[in-house]
Amino acid sequence: MLDISKLLDEIKSSPYREITVTAQHTGKIAFAEIETGARVRGPQGQWKEMPGTKLCTLERERNPKPVYAPENGEICRIHRELDGRFVEAGSPLVVLRHKLTRDEVQRIILQKTLYLFPAPERAKYYFTPEADKKIRASDARSVTVRNGMELFIMSRMKREVPLNYTGPDGVIYEVYFKYNKNLDVGAPLVGICPPEHLRAIQTLVMRVQTEWTET
Amino acid sequence: MPAGDAARDSGSARHEIPEQEKSLSTAHSDNILRNHKILVANRGEIAMRIMRACGRLNIPFAAVYTAEDAASGHVLLARGEGGEKSLFRVSSYHDANELTAVADEAGCTAVHPGYGFFAEDFRFARRVAKRDRKMIFIGPSWKIIRELGDKINTKRLARSLDVPTVPGSDRPIYDEMEAERIAKTIFEFQGQQGISRPLVLVKASAGGGGMGIEEVYDPELFRSVYRRVRNYALRQFKDEGVLIEQRIMDFNHLEVQIVSDRTGMNPVHFGTRNCSIQSTGLQKRIEVAPGFAPDALEYSFDARKVLDDIVAYSLKMARTVGYDNVGTWEWIVTRKGDPYLMEVNTRIQVENGVSARIAKIRGQGGVDLIAEQIRTGLGEPLGYRQEDISFEGVSIEYRLIAEEPENNFTPWAGQIESFSWKDAPWLTMLTHVPDKLPYEIPTEFDPNLALAIVYGKDIQEAGERGAAFLNSLRLTGSDGTGANLKSNAAFLKDNTGRILYF
Repeated sequence: MLDISKLLDEIKSSPYREITVTAQHTGKIAFAEIETGARVRGPQGQWKEMPGTKLCTLERERNPKPVYAPENGEICRIHRELDGRFVEAGSPLVVLRHKLTRDEVQRIILQKTLYLFPAPERAKYYFTPEADKKIRASDARSVTVRNGMELFIMSRMKREVPLNYTGPDGVIYEVYFKYNKNLDVGAPLVGICPPEHLRAIQTLVMRVQTEWTET
Repeated sequence: MPAGDAARDSGSARHEIPEQEKSLSTAHSDNILRNHKILVANRGEIAMRIMRACGRLNIPFAAVYTAEDAASGHVLLARGEGGEKSLFRVSSYHDANELTAVADEAGCTAVHPGYGFFAEDFRFARRVAKRDRKMIFIGPSWKIIRELGDKINTKRLARSLDVPTVPGSDRPIYDEMEAERIAKTIFEFQGQQGISRPLVLVKASAGGGGMGIEEVYDPELFRSVYRRVRNYALRQFKDEGVLIEQRIMDFNHLEVQIVSDRTGMNPVHFGTRNCSIQSTGLQKRIEVAPGFAPDALEYSFDARKVLDDIVAYSLKMARTVGYDNVGTWEWIVTRKGDPYLMEVNTRIQVENGVSARIAKIRGQGGVDLIAEQIRTGLGEPLGYRQEDISFEGVSIEYRLIAEEPENNFTPWAGQIESFSWKDAPWLTMLTHVPDKLPYEIPTEFDPNLALAIVYGKDIQEAGERGAAFLNSLRLTGSDGTGANLKSNAAFLKDNTGRILYF
C-alpha cells in the first residue's frame, strides 16, 4: 500500500524545482532590473490575470514582448551574456528556483500513485466523443474506464486513430494532455485510480493540503 | 558491397554537389549576385537544394530550423556549409516576424521561400519588398503572386486570352441559389456531350493543394456538398467563396515550367511535366518530364500538338502579365486531347528537378532551376533565349513518403532505422533524412522522406531504372507501438509501368 509519509518526506527533503525561462521566439534581449538571488512572483489573481515579475524584454520586428516570471521563486542565474543580443527561439534566459506549491506536490505524488496510461506515440490526443461528453458534463472523475475500452483518439499529422485504454479499471483521476498539443511518446495521458485506492488517494490529497506550507 | 555500406556511400554524397551537376550558372557574371545573402526560409529537402544552389552561385546564406527539425539534414548541411552562425532556431516556419528578424540579424538581402509556407503568400512577398529594410523576395513579384495566385483571376485572365479553361464559374460563388443554377447548367452541358456519368466539382476558391474539393454526381445532393465545402472554406481559408466546375474524369495532369527574369519580357519554358500519378487526395506522387512521349507511346490524340499548345498558351499568359521569375502552369488534358488550364503555381515546385534533368542550355546539361530562380530573382538577366534550350531523354521523380497507400495514403510517423539504396549515375537522391540513424520523423510536418530523380534516354530506360532504384531501396523503421514503418515504395513501383500512358 502507499506510504504517504515516505513520499512526503522525500519531497520535503528537496522541495524545489528549477525553471528555465527560455526565449519563445527570436529577438533582441534586454534584461529588466533583476539580480541573482532576488525573489520574483509568478502570475497572480484568481485568473492569473496579473503578470509576474518582469524578467526581460524580447524585441522582434519592433514589437517588444515582456517576459515575466512564470512562477514564484528566486533567481538562480541570469544569462547576462545575452543582454542586448539577438537570441534564437528556445535560448535559456533566466533560471528560477521555485518552491513547490501544494498543487505541484499533489501532482507529483499522484503521478507516483495513480496508474499512468502512457502515450504510445508522439501525437495529439483527445477523448472519444462519448468520454468527452461525460467529462464536459461533470468532470473527468465521473468517467469510469475499463481495460480495453476505446477512450482516446490519437491524432498524428492528418491521421486520427482510436486508442484503447489498457490497464486496471478505475476512474480518471488526472488528465495530463492538453487540447491540440503534441504529447511525447511515453508521457502520461491520464492517471487512473482503481476503486480500492480511491480512499487512500483522497487521504493523501488531504494530507498534502494540510501539511504542505506555501511561502 | 553490403546495403549498409551503400547507404553510407550514398549518404555521404547527399551533402555534396556532384561534379557533373555543377550548374552553368556558375559561369555567369556575379556582379549582381555579389553582396547578396539569402535567407533560406524553409526546411527539409527544398532548403538543402536552395543552400546547394547558393553554393553554386557563391552566395552566402542563412538558414532556419525549429526544435522538431534539429536532426534534419538541412540543419546539418547549413551547419557544414554556412557555419554555425548561418543557422537560427526559430519558433515556427510560419511566423513572418521570425523570418524577417532572422534575415535582419544575419544581414540577408533576399529571402527564398522554397515551396509551401510563404512561397505563394503575396502579403509576405510584399512585406519583404516594402519594409524599411527592404529585401528581395526570390519568387515572382508580389503583384503577380496576387494576380495569378487567385484561381479565379487566373481563369478570367486565361479566358480573356482565349486560353481554354475548365467549364464552370470564373468567380467565387457565395450564393447558394446561384451555385445550384451553375451546377445544373454544367450537368446539362455534360449530358449534351454524351458523358454517361456527369460530375460537378465544388472547390474552395481560396484553397489549394487538393484541399477543399468535393465532387457531386447527383444534382439532388449538390446543396449539401456545396454547404459542406463552403463551411470548410470558411474555416480553413476565411473565405466561403466556392468555384463550381465540370469534373473532368480520365485526364492527365500536365505542367509547363516557365522561367523569366525581372524584366518580365523574356519568359522561356523548360518543357512539360506529367504529374498524373497521384494519391487519392490528389497529391502528386510520380512526376515525369516531358509531359508525353509521342515518339515512344501511342496516344488517341496528337500529343505533340497538345504539348506545343499548352506551352504556347502558358508563355502567352506569362508575357501578358510580365511574369518575372519561375512558375508553373498546370493543365488538365482529356482523353480527347483537349487541354484546360487549371491554375498557375507562382513558385518553384517540388518536381522542378525532372525538368532540369532533361534540359540543356546551349547544349550544356546540369541545369539547376533553383539556381536560375535565385539568379534571375536577384536581378540577373536570363542570359539565354528559348532556342538555346533543348531537351534530351526522360526523367522520373518518385516522391518517397512514409504513408499507407492502402489506407487512403494516411501519413505514418515513427523512427527510421535504416535507409539505403544503390547509387547510380542516373539517380539523384534528394533527402533531408540524415546519414546518422535512427531518425524520428517529425509529426509536425508531412512525412516526405526523399525525392528520387531517375534519368533515362527514353521512357523505357527511365522506367526500368526507376524500378531498379525502387528494388534497391531499403527502408525500415518502427513506431511507438512496434509497428513497422509504412511507405509508398510499393505504390511507386506498381505505378512505374503506367507512367506516361494514357
